[in-house]
Amino acid sequence: MKKAILIPTISLFIICLCATFLLGIVNSVTEDKIAQNAVQTEMDSRKVVMADAVSFGDKVEGNHTYEGVDSPYSYVEALDANSNLIGYVFVTQSTGYGGAISTMTGVSTDGKVTGVEFLQINETVGLGMNATKDSFKDQFKGLSGVIGVNKNESTETEVKALTGATITTKAAAKGVNIALDIYENVLGGENNG
Amino acid sequence: MSYSKELISILITYILTQNFILSKFLGICPFLGVSKKLNTAMGMSAAVIFVMLISTAITYPIYNLLVHFGLEYLETIVFILVIAALVQLVETAMKKFMPPLYNALGIYLPLITTNCAVLGVVLLNIDTNGYSGTMENFGRAMMSSLGAGLGFMLAMVMFAGVRSRLESCDIPKFLKGLPITLVAASLTSLSFLGFAGLVENMFA
Amino acid sequence: MAEKKTLRQEFTKGLIKENPVLRLVLGTCPTLAVTTSVMSAVGMGASATAVLVCSNIAISLLRKVIPSKVRIPAYIVIIASFVTIVQMVVKAFMPELDQQLGVYLPLIVVNCIILGRAEAFAGKNPVLASAVDGLGMGVGFTGALFFMGFIRELFGSGTFLSGIAGINGGNGLAVPFLNENPMLIFVLAPGGFFVFGILMAVANKIAEGKGLPKAELHGCENCPMAKSCTIIHKEDCKSNEEVASK
Repeated sequence: MKKAILIPTISLFIICLCATFLLGIVNSVTEDKIAQNAVQTEMDSRKVVMADAVSFGDKVEGNHTYEGVDSPYSYVEALDANSNLIGYVFVTQSTGYGGAISTMTGVSTDGKVTGVEFLQINETVGLGMNATKDSFKDQFKGLSGVIGVNKNESTETEVKALTGATITTKAAAKGVNIALDIYENVLGGENNG
Repeated sequence: MSYSKELISILITYILTQNFILSKFLGICPFLGVSKKLNTAMGMSAAVIFVMLISTAITYPIYNLLVHFGLEYLETIVFILVIAALVQLVETAMKKFMPPLYNALGIYLPLITTNCAVLGVVLLNIDTNGYSGTMENFGRAMMSSLGAGLGFMLAMVMFAGVRSRLESCDIPKFLKGLPITLVAASLTSLSFLGFAGLVENMFA
Repeated sequence: MAEKKTLRQEFTKGLIKENPVLRLVLGTCPTLAVTTSVMSAVGMGASATAVLVCSNIAISLLRKVIPSKVRIPAYIVIIASFVTIVQMVVKAFMPELDQQLGVYLPLIVVNCIILGRAEAFAGKNPVLASAVDGLGMGVGFTGALFFMGFIRELFGSGTFLSGIAGINGGNGLAVPFLNENPMLIFVLAPGGFFVFGILMAVANKIAEGKGLPKAELHGCENCPMAKSCTIIHKEDCKSNEEVASK
């Protein structure tokens, strides 16, 4: 009786052990590559949202409270060829329809959005995923202050909502607004030297 | 938004707008296989709700443990084993201590181990609610499991009704059986699209 | 019977005659969920095929060592390990695909096709046959997913092969007319059910012409857990037979 329990238990245990060992090996191979990918995506996106920048400063991380919700963010300084500060690139978090959206926003020293990219987005294909199209992202360029969402058309302070994906549009706008808010209130806005 | 309002909005989101079966396609096998009769549909969904809740309650702290040791990559294998073991354990315990409950739900339990809705809810909870391990996040995770389970039940029960109507219809020969069931599912899912935008405007 | 079959037969049976999706109605969740474009559909098919072949080989190698009592948990451990490996490899080398498949990539663990093949074939047959069986089933699965993805992408977004970096900057080939007037419903959830239903009808029609029985969901008969499942199994199968006899 005892043997009948012992043998299956031991064999199952050995299988688990081998599986974990194997996974550990594969993980050690792929881990660096995965981390590298994330860094690479971020580097590439920085150049897209702040096309004028030549180099970027060190990454600064922190937490910011916007509309009563605390969320993590990070930013880097964007520098031109003479190492003058021309703006900041922020990475902020908001929640869309299908989960977390990580937005990268470029903000120039005069407080205007220079470009928007989504580092992580998982919305409905055909609706919310249209946010990744250039026609949507380009609407943000040149806007400042607090950006609203308009269901019919884009205005000087609002972006046009994606058809059937108001939640995604609002989440995207919120990501950008958090970046602008950090620029204004944490980094001191235009008064910043 | 206050915390309690947020919990209610999570619940409604998962029942109506992000219904597991009809918009996320999780748990399609039982949806098509066990929805022929209303009572089996009810029993199956009740068992799913039960298993979803207990597996979330157990896997959430386990994930924190994995994060602590830097072993996040083991999540899939750990979660599926925990769910499988849990289901077995609950089945045995139910049989012994609560025979009436076992007769009502127990028979569905073995099927649930390989139900992607259960593993799906556990993985999605980690994805969307973060894993900072606070009690607030745990509450959110439990609420989304409850919502996912209730949404599963709603879809199953509604669809059992739709199918009973289909039985008496004169269907073209080439659509008989599974094809027409899928087309009916498509229409049911279409009706759920109407809920999009409901939750965010409810508390606005 | 099985051992008399040639390897060629083991491979081809999964393609059409026993196609896991269109004939056996297994793995319906990914069939519906990730077929919004050809790229994600084929990506899912390829990942599942890799897992299927590897797990079939491993299970077949270990079939004499694994005690039958803990057979199912052992299979689950083996399958889950391969799924995790595939997941890590995809994350490292195809990050875009990982983003598209999302939670459905780890959910390959509970794809009935894989556990089903382990239980029905790999646990009883030699290594080479099991590998070929897995490959055939995987290719059949990928093929069905490709059709779903092709139809849904064509009508829903009016493109073909979008999301692959090499083709038109990731936007895919635009199909005239459909690209300007996409029928959005095809990439949404209801479109998934609808296209699958129509494909099933076509598959049934073809099967009928060849004298094969119609594909039917046998309650849980095809599910690997069916043996431990008592009442649903009996009831649903009985009602199916009754329907069939009528």
